[in-house]
Parts: sequence; C-alpha cells; structure tokens
Amino acid sequence: MRLTNVGDTTWLNGPGQGKGTVQIGVQHLGAEKRWLMTAGGRTDPLRVAAILRQDMPNVYFALTEEFNSEGLIALLASGQAVVFYRIALMSKDGDWVLRETAGACRRVRSVLADHGARYRPGAPLDPRWLAGGWSSHFEFFDEKKRRIRCDFVSRPPRIAPGDLDAMFAAARGDGRLRVVDPQRLIRLKQTQRAKDYPVIGELSRLLPPEIELRWTTDPDRIMELSSPLGQGSPRASVRAARDGLSREVVVMELAREIDRMQREDRDRMRRYEAAARPYLEEFRTRIREDAPLEEGHGVAVSVAERLLPPTLDEGGS
Amino acid sequence: MQMLSEDDLDLKQMTDEELERAWDLWFDLAQSTNDADPPYAHGVFAGLGREEHSGTRGASSEPRL
Repeated sequence: MRLTNVGDTTWLNGPGQGKGTVQIGVQHLGAEKRWLMTAGGRTDPLRVAAILRQDMPNVYFALTEEFNSEGLIALLASGQAVVFYRIALMSKDGDWVLRETAGACRRVRSVLADHGARYRPGAPLDPRWLAGGWSSHFEFFDEKKRRIRCDFVSRPPRIAPGDLDAMFAAARGDGRLRVVDPQRLIRLKQTQRAKDYPVIGELSRLLPPEIELRWTTDPDRIMELSSPLGQGSPRASVRAARDGLSREVVVMELAREIDRMQREDRDRMRRYEAAARPYLEEFRTRIREDAPLEEGHGVAVSVAERLLPPTLDEGGS
Repeated sequence: MQMLSEDDLDLKQMTDEELERAWDLWFDLAQSTNDADPPYAHGVFAGLGREEHSGTRGASSEPRL
C-alpha cells in the first residue's frame, strides 16, 4: 500500500484481486472531501462495481439455458431481452415465449420445480390455455434469497400466430441462451407502460434505417430518416416529417401513435382480466401459496377446466 | 434525442462478464423495492392491481423456506 498525491487528490493504491489495480482516492475540495474509486482504469460507478463483483450469472439467462438444454423451447423476451441487447438494466422479472407443446410445458415446470418455484395466480402452464393467449406465472427465491419471477406465454401479443416459427428461427444469442429478435421484441414492448417506449427507440437503432423508421419512437430519428426512407409509410409522424411540418407536429403525431398502442394493449388486458375473474378467485382459495409446483399445477388445471375459457371471443393476439 | 441514462448507455461498452455482474448488482439493490412492485410485469394480468391479485392472500415478498 502506498499514498500518492495527484493534484488535489490523495490516492491509496492497492492490489486488484486479479482484476487490475484498485485505487481509492480522496479529493480535497476546500472544506469538503469527495471519495473516488477506480478499478481496471475505469471510474464510472457501475463499471467499477461490475469489475469488482464476484462472477454471478444472470439468473434469467441461466434459466433460459436450462429450459433449452433438451432442445429449443423458450425465447427470453421483454425486459431481460433488453438487458441482453445492452439497452438498460430495467427488469427484475423474466418472461419467455414458449413453444406451444405439452413437452415444452412439462420441461419448464420440471426446471422450475427443481428450483422450488410455486405457481402465482395465472393460467395453468398448459398448451390448452397458452394457445388462447393466456399467461402463466411462477416465483421462487434463489440462494441469495432474491425473488425470482418467471412469466410465460406462447402467443405473445401483436405477433401473428403464423409468425411464431419464424420468431424462433430469428432468435438471437448463442447456444441455449436464445432471445427474441429486436424487431419482434419491439412489437412485444408496445404495451400500456410508458417506460417501454424509450426502449423501443433504442431497440430500433439496432435495425437497418429503413426498418428503424417503421418502429422508432425518437422524433429526431423520424425527422432524419423520413425524407430519404419514408415514402409510403403508414405512420402519421413519418408523413408529417416528409411533408416538412414542424418538429412539434411530428412529436404530436408520435404521441398519438403511442397513446393508441397503449390503449389497445390496455383494452386487450381488460378482456383477459374480466374473463379470468371467477378462475382467479377460486385459484387463490384452492392453491396454497406453498404448494409444490406439480400439486399446484394439478389443481390449477382442474379449476381452469371449469372456469377459464381457453380462448376469448376476440382472440388473444 | 438521448432517451436513456449514461449508465444505461454505458452497458454497450461492457464485456459479457461485466454486464452480468452489473445486472447482478442492480438486481441485489432492486430487491429493496419488492414490496412496492406491481404483481405482474408481463402477461395478460399485468393490469391487475395488488388487491385484485392478492385477494384474501397477503403480499408474498419474503422467501418461503
């Protein structure tokens, strides 16, 4: 250990535990002191923490690999896919698009049961209900006592049933860690939540410009790309930009587009929630919170056969 | 227009291992808000509030041992 003065900062140099030199410094700012830390030559706090932290795989990435260890049945989606694409650390839960087969459902239930997972109120993980657009939900606590929530659909919203095979074929990632491709992920993120729309803007940047223009939520990118690439676009925001209207008009048209998508998503949810009400009520009374997963599954199926319509009149997608 | 924070945008510079460790750190910290989280983040029940989700059950934020 040695102390070194550089400018107004005193640095304590220490061994880097195999991860490069770690430095802790005190910057003297008049009467105040500011603590500084670097590792591996980096000063940004998130990077420093990442360099110093013990290796620990993302539990949702690891679960995806477990689900797919006997064949590709599950694509990581939504927030964890956003982590995979390095857009944001924004999701505490994992959700997957699952192959709509009894074998895929059995495999996922088996993996989750091995982790001590329990059913949360939701549809049974069974193709009869997944095919109608329903979702299944589970929860367990990992070895660090952190809450792990796992959600599954086989008919993701805004993806045509005929596109599901192509969705699996277009998945990104290596080996068993397979992730929904950026363009379809954008469709999944067109939800009622405001926070999904900045992410759509960032995901769009991963696409070629002519495709980016179909999806981007960034008004500046719409202004930039519309003139060379926006001919025939169905988007009012793109047409406004092509017509040379002001940025304010483009922003307003974009806000209308986002509001319409949010309302459509909200309306879709309400139909499912209304149809599920009697089922969820009985689910809560019949399935103990600590029931082992397969026991919970058996009860959920028996209740669903009486009270949960496999499909809704207006369709699930 | 920059829509995300500097920390978010810095993720692109990380190695795979750094990304996993950064998420793991964030996930540790994010446990502190478990009780305040909506019951569902995905799926067709995402519009349900806490009371509609729990019914007569209490919130289950603690590990079941």
